[in-house]
Amino acid sequence: MDELLAEFVAEIREMLQAIEGEIVAWERDPADKARLNAIFRFVHTVKGNCGFFDFPRLERLSHAAESVLADVRSGHRAADSHLVSAVLAVIDRIAAMIDTLESGEDLPADDGGDAALLQALEREGDTAADELPPIQPMESGEARRSSAPAATPRTVRLPLELLDQVMSGVSDLVLARNDLARRLRDAGAEPALNGPFDRLSGTLGELREAVSRMRMQRVEHLFNAFPRLVRDLAAELGKQVTIDLDGTAVELDREMIEMVRDPITHIIRNALDHGVESPADRLAAGKHETALLAISARQSGNCITLTISDDGRGINVDRLRDKALAAGLVTQAQVAAMTHSELLELIFAPGLSTAEEVSAISGRGVGMDVVRSNIEHLGGTITVKSEAGKGTVFILKLPLTLSIIGGLTITIGGQRMAIPRSYVDEIVHGDADTLEFSDVGDARLFAYRGERIRYIALAQVLGLEKTDVPAQALVIIRFGSGIVFALGVDRVLEHEELVIKPLAPAVAEAGIYAGIILLDDGRPLLLLDMPEIGRKNGLIHDHRAHIASVEDPEQRSELTQRRRLMTFVALDGRRKAMPLELVRRIDTLESHAISLNCGRPQVTIDGRILPLEGCEGGPIPQDRAHVLRLTDGTLEVAYIVKEVADSVEIEEEIVPFPDDITIEGVTLVGGEPVAILAGHPIFANHHGTADAGKLPVCRLPCDDGWTNTVLAPLILAAGYRVTRDLEEPATVSIEFTGENPSGRSDKDVPVICLRSHPQPGGTGDQSIYRYDREAILDALEASRKEAGDRS
Amino acid sequence: MSILVVLAQVAGRQAAFEASEVRSVIDLEQLVPVPGAPPHVAGLAALRSQALTVIDTKRAIDGNVDDARIVDEDTPKNRAIVVEIGGHAFALLVETVSDVIALEGETLPVPGTFGDGWLRSAKGMVETARGPALLLDPMAMLSVDKIKSF
Repeated sequence: MDELLAEFVAEIREMLQAIEGEIVAWERDPADKARLNAIFRFVHTVKGNCGFFDFPRLERLSHAAESVLADVRSGHRAADSHLVSAVLAVIDRIAAMIDTLESGEDLPADDGGDAALLQALEREGDTAADELPPIQPMESGEARRSSAPAATPRTVRLPLELLDQVMSGVSDLVLARNDLARRLRDAGAEPALNGPFDRLSGTLGELREAVSRMRMQRVEHLFNAFPRLVRDLAAELGKQVTIDLDGTAVELDREMIEMVRDPITHIIRNALDHGVESPADRLAAGKHETALLAISARQSGNCITLTISDDGRGINVDRLRDKALAAGLVTQAQVAAMTHSELLELIFAPGLSTAEEVSAISGRGVGMDVVRSNIEHLGGTITVKSEAGKGTVFILKLPLTLSIIGGLTITIGGQRMAIPRSYVDEIVHGDADTLEFSDVGDARLFAYRGERIRYIALAQVLGLEKTDVPAQALVIIRFGSGIVFALGVDRVLEHEELVIKPLAPAVAEAGIYAGIILLDDGRPLLLLDMPEIGRKNGLIHDHRAHIASVEDPEQRSELTQRRRLMTFVALDGRRKAMPLELVRRIDTLESHAISLNCGRPQVTIDGRILPLEGCEGGPIPQDRAHVLRLTDGTLEVAYIVKEVADSVEIEEEIVPFPDDITIEGVTLVGGEPVAILAGHPIFANHHGTADAGKLPVCRLPCDDGWTNTVLAPLILAAGYRVTRDLEEPATVSIEFTGENPSGRSDKDVPVICLRSHPQPGGTGDQSIYRYDREAILDALEASRKEAGDRS
Repeated sequence: MSILVVLAQVAGRQAAFEASEVRSVIDLEQLVPVPGAPPHVAGLAALRSQALTVIDTKRAIDGNVDDARIVDEDTPKNRAIVVEIGGHAFALLVETVSDVIALEGETLPVPGTFGDGWLRSAKGMVETARGPALLLDPMAMLSVDKIKSF
């Protein structure tokens, strides 16, 4: 094969791999111009390149596909499923031809299939799908894969053991180099040695990198084929499924990738065949008609976790048990003693199939027992979790005999440890005093980007004695599925590339560590197992986490949009919820900071007076009160609550509640109905009056002691700003009887007259006794209302 | 053919390890503690590019070992015998390593007076030119699930 042709083949193959996911995504959303353009570019490139070579068949096919896609682009044709299938068929054909070319053979003459494909492309609209030439995507997919090695320039096969040996040799070399460097330094610099030593170091660095790349491959290579597989299976089964891939950048041993391909394919087939219901059944069950299949990869130390979850009907444990009994795998007595998860484990028992009927998709005599034994053969584990009606999750944990990961090194209790970088979302410096924490029940929460997330001190996780020493830095840990928590550590050191070694069983038993790392200076370092730490401390729940992660917000109907709520117990003792977006922070304060004057309750927080809502319905708690500080972006309002509960994420429907404008609707949180407060009325009440710079202004007559120390605080508490500037426009002015310091009568500003004697000076005296607090406040309130009416 | 053993002092007793099982005898420089690990895990150390799990041998044998029985305060605290079990390298802390010596005579059962820990950890009682020794079985010693005494 000449060089030009080889280049052409390599380019097409690369593009094929890249657009595989695109084309399925395009089918889902034919309006997606970006996807359409990507596919168009592909056929265009194929067509263009065909000009250099003499491949009439390729050219004809790509040309036809190009013109159809051009029609779609210009809006002359709609991208219906028929058209997409036809385009897919053409792309498959192109791939098959590329395979042929790659193997060095000439393209065979057209057997008539091309013409059928072209015809299918041309046909508009309602053509029955069965008239299409049969598309065998799986077979062609496999064919492509099996011949793929031919694409890699020149290869040799090596036993992995040899690679391991080379790798460990290079590691030893690095340590020896570092030792040598130390000794050279200690012995005093010998300039003549520097050059050669630097060269040695450089070469060693490159060698190390090359060696570490030898075995690794991005898990993307494994995942790329899945969207197509899911699409084809779903079409075959008449189901609607979207696929969500996460963690494609995780690197996995090449060999491992090949070994897990079949087991995962099998699990996907099972999920689509048995797990996912038909669109009608899903609707009847109150689910979205499109099912979600989520596949994610995560690395933690020397372990890769692959998760395959669906939101289908779940595994029928009763049927599983009956079948196991019928097959004589277990006895009645055994079954009676089994827990739910133990019963689920039966799915891995040999000779068991839960499907009512053996279907063409998954009932091929290869059961989950084979999947499990394959995974275990690799030194991995497979577990299953399932909830009836909610879905099923398969979790595969695979070891990495050799792996290099990016890690963040930290210190805790005087010891260095590492956290896999893939989990680190952000680092927050500062000690516990300067960071914003709040306690809810036993849980400590940390305010992070407007959210409250769980906090745990690493010292506590490790059971170190001095757990009362506040953490000096927080590492924000994030898992793919959006679970976030904060981990308190002493210090954050640096990001490093780390070589992970397996743990001895006795150390692994602690359930805190994922591996050992040897630093360049030869010191061992423990790598923290973040998922395990999260699970052990109740920060993660496997099942919910993954089911939640498969939700695609765009796919959900309006009523069941995912909402994040802050739940609390209101003063009236009822559980209510506040949209979390509104909650800026939670404060606990002394009750005397609250004043309930004249139905305009206010609270003083951080030297500011905020309007207070939520007071109706019950007495203000003695001593200490909790308030939610809400903001709509410009205005801040405090909302008093009896107790702060959890922040929750709900997917339940929110039933509108038109009778009460203060309530947005009612939803279920943990099975209990909870009223969600509407944000609008809360802020609408205060806009225009309490806006920071727009507080009503009260002009005070003079600067004497009584005015400053007795009167001014009362006026401030009523929600006024005080001014003594006679020129400044005011809402109201306070004057004393017999005095008119301004010397003028300002008609625009209402005046409240205060007198020093308890008894009015005579009939018609509108003045107020200066210690008649209620009357002063009423007058201020009346002025405020008047001003509000005027504006 | 005589069997060679490495003689070492463990918890104040003369113990022997089969030389074929011993990869090396080292002096540990740094010990990195492992919070949360079982008490018989003394920490981690590195031997060239390999990570060693360091075992507090006394505790692995008998969690209730009487510390007062350890006679010599001056014995090095970081001398260890490196063995490999199940693909992992372990450094077993010992008080001293005295000799590599050939076994004499037969291996006898461990006398019951030694207690459960020693009965579990030792393959038998052996005789050497330096006197009797307990022939230890590292794998049995590290079968953690059987260590209940703490």
